[in-house]
Amino acid sequence: MFFLHNLERRVTLHPSYFGRNMHELVTTKLVKDVEGTCAGDYYIIAIMDTFDVSEGRILPGSGLAEFTVGYRAVVWRPFKGEVIDAITQTVNPHGFFAQAGPLRLFVSSHLMPDEIQYDASATPAQFTNNADIVIEQGTHVRVKIIGLRTEVGEMWAIGSINGDFLGCLQG
Amino acid sequence: MASAPFQFAGDSESEDDNFNPAPADLSDEEDGADHDDSPAHKKDRRGSSPAADNDHDEDEDEGDGDEPVRTSKKRAREDDDEEENAADEEEEDVEADGDGDEEELEEDDEEEEDEDDEDVQHRHRRKRRKDHRAAFFDIEAEVEDEDEAEDEERDGEEIEDFIENAHPDDIAEPLHDDTRHRELDRRREIEASMDAEKQAEILKERYGKRAHARGYNDMAVVPKRLLLPSVDDPGIWAVRCKEGKERDVIFSIMRRVEERAGTKDELAITAAFERGGPNSVMKGYIYVEARRQNDILIALDGVLDVYPRTKMILVEIKDMPDLLRVTKTPTLEPGAWVRLKRPAKHAGDLAQVLDVTENGLEARVRFIPRLDYGDKSDSFSMAAPPQRRRPGMPGPRPPQRLFSEIEARKRNPRYLSGNPQTNTWTYMGEEFENGFQVKDIKIQHLEVKDVNPTLEEVTKFASGAEDGTENLDLKALAASLKDSNSSVTYVRGDVIEVYEGEQRGVVGRAVNVQGDIVTLKVTEGELAGQTIEVPNKGLRKRFRTGDHVKVIGGSRFRDEVGMVVKIVEDRVTLLTDQTNTEITVFSKDLREASDIGGQGSLGQYSLLDLVQLDPTTVGCIVKVDRESMVVLDQNGDTKQVMPSQIANKLPKRKIAVAADRNGSEIRIDDVVREYGGQQRQGKIIHIHRSFVFLHSNATTENAGVFVTRAGNVTTIAAKGGRTTANSGPDLSTMNPALKRMGPNGPTGPMQPPKSFGRDRALGQTVSIRKGGYKGLMGIVKDTTDTHARVELHGKNKIVTVPKADLVFKDKITGKTIDIYSRGGRGGFGGGGYPGGGDRMGSRTPMGAGSGERTPAWGAKSVARTPAWGRAEGSGSRTPAWGDGSRTVNPYDGSRTAYGDGNRTAYGGATSYGGSRTPAWSSSAKTPAHDGFGHGSKTPAWGLGVHAWPERLFVFARTV
Repeated sequence: MFFLHNLERRVTLHPSYFGRNMHELVTTKLVKDVEGTCAGDYYIIAIMDTFDVSEGRILPGSGLAEFTVGYRAVVWRPFKGEVIDAITQTVNPHGFFAQAGPLRLFVSSHLMPDEIQYDASATPAQFTNNADIVIEQGTHVRVKIIGLRTEVGEMWAIGSINGDFLGCLQG
Repeated sequence: MASAPFQFAGDSESEDDNFNPAPADLSDEEDGADHDDSPAHKKDRRGSSPAADNDHDEDEDEGDGDEPVRTSKKRAREDDDEEENAADEEEEDVEADGDGDEEELEEDDEEEEDEDDEDVQHRHRRKRRKDHRAAFFDIEAEVEDEDEAEDEERDGEEIEDFIENAHPDDIAEPLHDDTRHRELDRRREIEASMDAEKQAEILKERYGKRAHARGYNDMAVVPKRLLLPSVDDPGIWAVRCKEGKERDVIFSIMRRVEERAGTKDELAITAAFERGGPNSVMKGYIYVEARRQNDILIALDGVLDVYPRTKMILVEIKDMPDLLRVTKTPTLEPGAWVRLKRPAKHAGDLAQVLDVTENGLEARVRFIPRLDYGDKSDSFSMAAPPQRRRPGMPGPRPPQRLFSEIEARKRNPRYLSGNPQTNTWTYMGEEFENGFQVKDIKIQHLEVKDVNPTLEEVTKFASGAEDGTENLDLKALAASLKDSNSSVTYVRGDVIEVYEGEQRGVVGRAVNVQGDIVTLKVTEGELAGQTIEVPNKGLRKRFRTGDHVKVIGGSRFRDEVGMVVKIVEDRVTLLTDQTNTEITVFSKDLREASDIGGQGSLGQYSLLDLVQLDPTTVGCIVKVDRESMVVLDQNGDTKQVMPSQIANKLPKRKIAVAADRNGSEIRIDDVVREYGGQQRQGKIIHIHRSFVFLHSNATTENAGVFVTRAGNVTTIAAKGGRTTANSGPDLSTMNPALKRMGPNGPTGPMQPPKSFGRDRALGQTVSIRKGGYKGLMGIVKDTTDTHARVELHGKNKIVTVPKADLVFKDKITGKTIDIYSRGGRGGFGGGGYPGGGDRMGSRTPMGAGSGERTPAWGAKSVARTPAWGRAEGSGSRTPAWGDGSRTVNPYDGSRTAYGDGNRTAYGGATSYGGSRTPAWSSSAKTPAHDGFGHGSKTPAWGLGVHAWPERLFVFARTV
């Protein structure tokens, strides 16, 4: 789910950049540092604006200036139970991996409807119920997240397509 | 002994009646007579008494306290009976009394069907009663007959008649009442056609009320404590007997009871039982219940294997219930694991139950044989049975090994027979199947509890499967492990489910664990919020799909971390984090994992680390096990190594850089694709010399790691390579625009003499002036921008010291010198450092050429030095510089600049002095300057440009 989230971050600036457009530089650095990263259990998608750049404090020892920047960012946090669309990346006999934006998902074969079976003979390998559903690399799937794991700088989810309206997206 | 509560108020019987309840309607006189009678006799009397003692009965019933109750009950039961009237009152009373007896005599397990018949008879009874009063007595006799089901001698003519008429069908005949008969037949037909369920319903409807009325006879409603023995009950004596013969003794007692029943020396004991068994503490005794000890002596006189003459132990009343306490004996199921006790050679070995015989005494087990095939010992064992050989210790036993037909054939072909097709053999009188020995073993020679099979043992069995695959029967393993629940540890916070016992289905979170008792705070269901205590026996941990769990305990997958994808009973399938494979373990071996962690590590080595295996081989760790790890080396081979086989861990060098196929710079974390081959795509995790280790999510093989040559990959990102990554300056380091502004600082970080060309500090004799090595002298072996590695004179050691802490000394005089001054340059210019050329490209020869230096710089077409020559050869894109950027350069900073020229102004400046062109022109874009936003770009540039010739000049002069 996407949120507008007010966040805060400390940004350091080398003294050689001290000058008139310091705040601009701080913002630039912030964007560079933060945008597109995973902050624990959510991803920071984009920074809308910085609304509060504090006065810089010189850090003893290094001479760098530290600014506390309040900013507003669009963040995306996947939730357990959330249904998201993803694109199948790889298919293996145990299930398939899919990517939903920055989030990688695994859908185990245990978490698919029973009639969907792995078909190794197809190229590329696919999960199929021998009817309308074919999940192969590149297929768009609708997945319900049933488990999430967060690591430093990475998130990782387990999904299920066992449910109404889940699975392969047609067209 | 338990019959006491059911005695009627009217009972004034002797002790015998406690054991074998008699009708309540016996008169006092009869009582007196009864005492002398033998029981068998009494039974007869009981059967006939109603008829004979009718009058007495009536008299007694008048004074009977519970008579009205019974009457009313009887009425309730028969209120649909139209024929009932007041005139019958008297008879009714008697009959009710008789009926009461009848009920009393009824066995507990008597079925409703019987009662149905009885009811049918009732209807006839009424009829008969109309005709002749005596019909009533017939019922008594008849019921007696039904209950006792014994042939009894009847003496009275009258009674004989009754027996004949006992059957309702028979009765109807003499009465000439066809309608009743037909009605009955019809009803029976209907009943027969109805299904059992309906019948039951009807019966219930019909007799439901009755069941209430006769409540006092219902076992279920009698409180348990009233059933406990009291002082009034017979005593129980423990009698010694031969161990193992307990059951036989009981059987012979039983036979004796049957034999003597009804004779004058009927046994006076009331019960006898045994609690023997190989593991019982009560073996060697039988227990006999009787009023007097003497009765037992009489009863057991002459019975084999029992010794009533030795001291009999009277069991205390409070201990009596314990005698009958049922301990569940472990049941053996095929597939379960046991340990062998008996063939001494195999004592303690694990075995698997294949089958259990019908009587439950023997089990067919398979285990790994311990054969040595040695002709000597085996032939010896053939000659003499092992029992005889076993006085003392069993001696050294051969190791466990699967049966080998070849070996057996080689050594003792005579004793070998079997079928190669099914792989079943008989060798030395033992059976072997698929390499396992199969044997029927008495259950008492098996250790059934606390088997605790280790995984190693179990895998030996599993790997013996025909197809060679591991087919662990987790279910059987679970069953074996269940006995040893002690291995399961619950900790606070575990979510636990009770799967056995009264509180089955309760789910809660453990709040406290003490010994075997787990205190749960119930989280679901009706009990939610309550705290209950449960023994940990019937507990299992509960997880949900999606939970992040870690494998603990004895499982092979210990320390794996993953997410639960499937749960079946207590088996949990999870997808491991490390390798993205699915594994199945018991829930007891799982624990909820903290969210972070799980990246496997072994000592200092963790997954995806780059390690040095030998001087020429490096590898990336792709799998970490408990004691070893799997390493993918630079050649793409995987090998399993121990931590001790690893020379050292190579730190991740963020600054490492390589050139891809197109000459673009690639660094760690860049995403590249293989040029040829499988065109795999991945993120660079390590760069080692010309090899890059890439990580890809597309495959789970080798944890997604593969290795290729740097020259074999192309950057995925835009053509320019690093443009996106370097869109702005690094704001946490020195502003590059400013770096050029300090023109003359001799110790400035980017001094040309230092950055380009061989570091003059190399080979110098130095003295360290700070730190732990202060005062020591040494020779500089290697340098970086900031540090020097100094080989000490005093110790055979090379230490790394900041350059600033070094004082350069003259080799000969020991005088302090400034090597960066012109004086120091002289000796250096001698150019005897061939290594310098390699590392830095073309610089040194140039410097050494003291002659035409200007042409050298100016005219790039004049290939004067090898370096230049090489540059020429590789085309027109200033390969000298490009080449430089491709090599991994220990002297950082200055190097990369050549690649695109816009990073450090310095690089651009240098090329200005040198071969200009591409680097220069790219820097002409000056994106950096925009990025710096440091106001005027001109000062920086200007300075750079202006300063350069000057410095070059200086430089040239020094040369």
